[in-house]
Amino acid sequence: MEKSVARNIRLGLFVITGTALLVAAVYFVGQKQSMFGNSSQLYAVFHDINGLRPGNNIRYSGINVGSVKEISMVSDTIIVVRFGVKNDILPHIRKNAHAIITTDGLVGNMIVNILPGSSSGLAVKAGDTIMSFARVRTDEMLTTLSVTNENAALLTAELLKITREISSGKGVIGSMIKDTTITTDLKETIHHLRHTTEASHATLTKLNRLITSLDKNNNIVGTLRDTTLPVTIRQTLANLERSSKQLVKVMDNVNGLIGNADSTITNIRKGEGAINFLSNDPVLVTKIDHTVSSLDSALMKINDAGVKLNENLEALKHNWFFKGYFKKLEKEQEKKAGKN
Amino acid sequence: MSFFRTSMQYILKYLEEVGEMSAFAGRFFRELFRRPFESRELLRQCYNMGNKSLLLVGVTGFIIGLVFTLQSRPKMLDLGASAWIPSMVSISIVREIGPIITALICAGRIGSGIGAELGSMRVTEQIDAMEVSGTNPFKYLVVTRILATTLMIPLLVVMSDAIALFGSFLVENTKGDVSFRYFFDEVFLSLDFVDLIPSTLKTFFFGFAIGLVGCYRGYYCKHGTAGVGVAANTAVVETSMLLFVLDFIAVMVTDIFY
Repeated sequence: MEKSVARNIRLGLFVITGTALLVAAVYFVGQKQSMFGNSSQLYAVFHDINGLRPGNNIRYSGINVGSVKEISMVSDTIIVVRFGVKNDILPHIRKNAHAIITTDGLVGNMIVNILPGSSSGLAVKAGDTIMSFARVRTDEMLTTLSVTNENAALLTAELLKITREISSGKGVIGSMIKDTTITTDLKETIHHLRHTTEASHATLTKLNRLITSLDKNNNIVGTLRDTTLPVTIRQTLANLERSSKQLVKVMDNVNGLIGNADSTITNIRKGEGAINFLSNDPVLVTKIDHTVSSLDSALMKINDAGVKLNENLEALKHNWFFKGYFKKLEKEQEKKAGKN
Repeated sequence: MSFFRTSMQYILKYLEEVGEMSAFAGRFFRELFRRPFESRELLRQCYNMGNKSLLLVGVTGFIIGLVFTLQSRPKMLDLGASAWIPSMVSISIVREIGPIITALICAGRIGSGIGAELGSMRVTEQIDAMEVSGTNPFKYLVVTRILATTLMIPLLVVMSDAIALFGSFLVENTKGDVSFRYFFDEVFLSLDFVDLIPSTLKTFFFGFAIGLVGCYRGYYCKHGTAGVGVAANTAVVETSMLLFVLDFIAVMVTDIFY
């Protein structure tokens, strides 16, 4: 009896383990297909689903976020794909996101890849339809590749022709390769080129130095580069303008004077006025000279008389008869000085 | 002419056996729902067929997972598809290798055991004695065994699959430094219900076939003790053939629905 109980316990353990493994496998497979979690339904419309099947993964930014639930053909060109997306992912998918059917790797299962839209877009809600891209089909790729191959073949043929012509010494490149004198010429050219380069380098160094020196203010260019110079020049020009105006006036005056002088000279030449006599009559000049000499001696005498008069006046001041008068005169002078 | 006659005899014999086996299966279904239910004998048979086969099935599954991964790994590396090893191994084991190998092992161990046990009971007239004593030998011996194999084989297959995948993981972990989580994430990501459910359902048919053929060959054993060996041997051979046929039918049916 005890043996039977122990056997039954072991059997129970076996059955429970096996069942648990089966249930766990079903659960994990279902979880990977978003069967048990909270998910929302979204739709995408395609013209060609490229063998997509219910259960295929939905990938958003590289993360598996759900699976294809249903594929229904609405018309001959419109196929609606319904897929479940985890609710916690839904707020991150924008309405301007795009769905594209592609393969997981080169030869993997078909998946629906949701390409994120711009962050400014609104988040999708359950039941929304997101836009889709048509997948680049293999046959289209092969057609493009075929054209590319044809072009490559043409290019290769042309290249082959060019290479043959070069090998046979035709054209510039061919003659460069075949003609040995060109090599010598080239060497010489390179030698000259090196010298020229060295000379150029030296010239450039000098030029550089010159340009550097121009930055200083102690030369013409430096002075020209001085920012205060235009102001000074402007002021100088204004002064010059003012001066020129005054000069014009002066010139006008000078012209007037010259005109007057001219008329005076004309008059003199005509023999009118005193100057004519002064300049043309020598007797008059001699008379004037005598008169001036007489005047000079008369003045000398007057001067002596003045000195003597001063002495007389001084003597008068000391005379008691005239003393009162002079004192009164001094007092009046002092008063005038005090008022001033 | 004699060749044609001999062929016809074989065909007729084969059809007769198919008919008898079908009648045997029909009787099983009839007796299954009739009282009394031999639950204690059923549990004993479940223990014998389930628990006692676990070690053999587990070791086989572990080695299959190990060897399958070791064999496929170099070629997958050459193709630059080593990341696909968990997916490939899991789909192969869960869909096909696990169920068929486990069923074949059970056909060898359980089918031959049933055939030999019932055959010896038949030749030693124990079954006749049971009939005389008023016990229904079919219900006690056949129904319990067929039911036990039908219920235990699926559990053995599930355990065998799990052990095989663990063996595969050990190889991947040692050779490719793949973590436990990554390996089983890849396994469950690549598996679908279309892989899991049909392959589990067909194991019930496998278990039923093992029990049915074993019981049929043992229950109708003839020619004394020599017939016991023949019954055990025929049970294994016929079960193995039937398993492949059933597997083919299961794959075809799965292909139609998915």
